[in-house]
Amino acid sequence: MGNNILIVDDSATIRSMMKKIIGMIGLDVGEIYEASNGIQALAHLADHQIAVLLVDINMPTMNGIQLLERMKQNEQLKDIPIVIASTEGSQKRIEQLHELGVAGYVRKPFQPEQLRDVLIPLLGVTQNAGAEDGNLDDGLF
Amino acid sequence: MQEQKTATLTTVFSEVLADLAFMFTDGDESDMPAGEVWLETVIGYQGAATGTLRLRCTRGFSIRLAANLLGTDADGENVEEQANDSVKEFMNIVCGQFITAVHGTGEVFDLTIPVISELPDTPDLTTGEQQDASVFSADGHLIQLSHLPGELPASVHVQPVAE
Repeated sequence: MGNNILIVDDSATIRSMMKKIIGMIGLDVGEIYEASNGIQALAHLADHQIAVLLVDINMPTMNGIQLLERMKQNEQLKDIPIVIASTEGSQKRIEQLHELGVAGYVRKPFQPEQLRDVLIPLLGVTQNAGAEDGNLDDGLF
Repeated sequence: MQEQKTATLTTVFSEVLADLAFMFTDGDESDMPAGEVWLETVIGYQGAATGTLRLRCTRGFSIRLAANLLGTDADGENVEEQANDSVKEFMNIVCGQFITAVHGTGEVFDLTIPVISELPDTPDLTTGEQQDASVFSADGHLIQLSHLPGELPASVHVQPVAE
């Protein structure tokens, strides 16, 4: 039941790739849910116990920053870790994100290991045997 | 200056394409494909500077890109329906990388949601004296990539990201 992950990205391709990476890096996670914007993410959060969110910034309807702000204002949601996965390269914007309380940041495209290194401490899990560094593709996601 | 930005864009595009999709670019040696559907993808950025990136590619390229991103074959599950989405997300990543390459990491930019549309006719890909466009091929698929400085076209708009 625990360690469910919610991927919030308007691109179905990116959501598929993220799910694949999480499988590749061999983390002991529960369900992986998907939402294509912040509104859908809030609906998932109302229905499911989520351990970590992976959130894009640039999305229609409700973007990643708006979702982050909404969650931080909500007593039930404010402590759920949010990892931003975005094309954003601005140091100033990344500092703003940390001030808003994001738990981690990965810039697209990224190596699977980068996502693993961000997720492991947040989920409090270890990597499964057979998913060591040598078994990961060298490609970016 | 504009010519330099176009060259930077082409380099960024090629690097992201190779890193993310294991597809490789070369000169514009490919013949104009007959009977192909052409797509146009536009993404804008706004901040210390404003501009638009425009990609013109064939449906065949979009399917190959989607297949490679999803790690499957061109006739694999979800490839057809995710082809347009793949090109949009790919250009989103290219735009983010291009901005950093040109403007560094000190400025904040907002990106538009990418818009993709099917072109009614085969586009004229000759660049002539144009400094804002480059034509090349990627794994045999002809590509036109443009950087258009200045105001955003009406088809795209920026969703403010942070106050």
